Amino acid sequence: MLEIRELACAYGKIEALRDVSLSARAGDVTCLLGPNGAGKTTLMMTLAGILQPTRGTITFEGESLLGLSPAQIVDRGLALVPENRLVFPALSVRENLMAGAYRRKDRAAIAGDIEQQLDRFPRLRERIDQLAGTLSGGEQQMLALARALMSRPRLLLMDEPSVGLAPKVVAEIFGIVRQLHAQGISIFLVEQNVHMALKVAQHFFLLQQGRVTFSGTPGELAADDVIHRAYLAGSERKPESDTANV
Amino acid sequence: MEFFQRTLDGLLEAGPYALVGLGLTLGFGMLRRVNLAYGAGAMLGAYTGSWLHVRMDWPIWAVLPAVIVTTALTGLYVQWLCFGETDRTSGSVQRASPAVSGADAREVVALAASFAVWMQLEQLCVNWIPQHLKRFPDVAATQEWTFGPLGLRPDRLLLSAIAIGLVLAVHHWMQHSRTGLAMRATAVHPLAADLSGMPVAKVQRWGFVLACGLSGVAACGVLALEGQVTPMFGMWMLMKGLTVAMIGGLGSVRGVLFGAICLGVLEAHAQAAWGAIGRDAAAWGLLLLALLIRQRSSATSTTGSVYA
Repeated sequence: MLEIRELACAYGKIEALRDVSLSARAGDVTCLLGPNGAGKTTLMMTLAGILQPTRGTITFEGESLLGLSPAQIVDRGLALVPENRLVFPALSVRENLMAGAYRRKDRAAIAGDIEQQLDRFPRLRERIDQLAGTLSGGEQQMLALARALMSRPRLLLMDEPSVGLAPKVVAEIFGIVRQLHAQGISIFLVEQNVHMALKVAQHFFLLQQGRVTFSGTPGELAADDVIHRAYLAGSERKPESDTANV
Repeated sequence: MEFFQRTLDGLLEAGPYALVGLGLTLGFGMLRRVNLAYGAGAMLGAYTGSWLHVRMDWPIWAVLPAVIVTTALTGLYVQWLCFGETDRTSGSVQRASPAVSGADAREVVALAASFAVWMQLEQLCVNWIPQHLKRFPDVAATQEWTFGPLGLRPDRLLLSAIAIGLVLAVHHWMQHSRTGLAMRATAVHPLAADLSGMPVAKVQRWGFVLACGLSGVAACGVLALEGQVTPMFGMWMLMKGLTVAMIGGLGSVRGVLFGAICLGVLEAHAQAAWGAIGRDAAAWGLLLLALLIRQRSSATSTTGSVYA
């Protein structure tokens, strides 16, 4: 579904991604792990069209995404739930949802989709006319997710949905990720909470210093000594929802 | 009874002030573009209208649209010269981190550039038309309506009705249209707007041109009652508009009406009590008060202005 080949991206002279190659299959939850500063968010922003790569290719369902604007990429069927949510704080919950459907013209279907999101996230229904800036962190994460879903993406990109959230809320968010996966939505997830990611993802990649250093199944991930030590060993005694920051 | 007459005069004066504040609220408050050339652009439009009327014998129905088009085109020029760089970088991930990208520095440069354009446009007007006091198509009423002891100018009443109608129309458009939603979203969080598929640069560019075009509407309304345009008109537009926008909440379209009424009524009473100097002093005092209140509310608020 998504193919990234030898992708490089730089901020001026500083190269944040170097020859990154990875793929995501339709219907799967694919998880990208990596420490802070590894280039995960840079990769997500590149996929969303915010940043342009210096070399390499990105193809989605056989079509190149290079040179496309963020709006064109939304049209192609990708939507990003950004790190730290980035909801529109001075707009209401309903307006945030409508903003997610900006590229669509089918008004009746949009109204139906808003109802669907409110059924999926009942807490948003309670706060439908409230300003998004007044929501809790967990509610804002739900709103960011619902907003991305309003564009009816075929591949949902999620950048660290658990960051800064309480363990209970993280569990709730990952429950929703499982639901979305069960409904057939393909997900490309960037996460540092390996324990939660292991419960939802079918394939893992590890990004370190701008390069992919591991690719494998959950079983292979758990069996890898280096990854086990870095991400899993220390946290085995901790509650499962603790974030395994490295 | 004198008090009621002054209050009525002030309320009618609020019409032109609301028109002046509307464009500024859209540009400053919503799109966050501090355009110091706002008044100068309107003045250039006004001088163009005067020139077309006096030299080319254009009728009023042709002059007024020409003024609006000129201010809108001037807005496009200001946008390209002062805010173009901000647009070119809009949508980049760096904008999410101003400290890294120097986004704040770009805004300061844009502000300074708009000041330079203000001076440029003012000089253009001064050199283009050496005799600075110029005639503008005059539609001022020659008679006053009287209701017992109270007098009412029908032309000012009409202008107030136009102002209220326009403010409410813009408010409705901002709240309920797809483009209005995009304008508010891009002003609040450009990166998130980008990710939602909104054409951020395009929305901001045309929103800014719209705001400048509204300053042309304001210029037409004000000058058609005055019948003349002077080189002080640009400064007058900027200061009155800024006062109205600040009192109204800087970003609230409906707040423009409130700000305009406050300014109009205060000025009318100050004029009656202390003359022209008192009127100006009261207006400056109100602006200062609005700035102080705004500064304090900004210090305690984290959510920014509410777009109502």
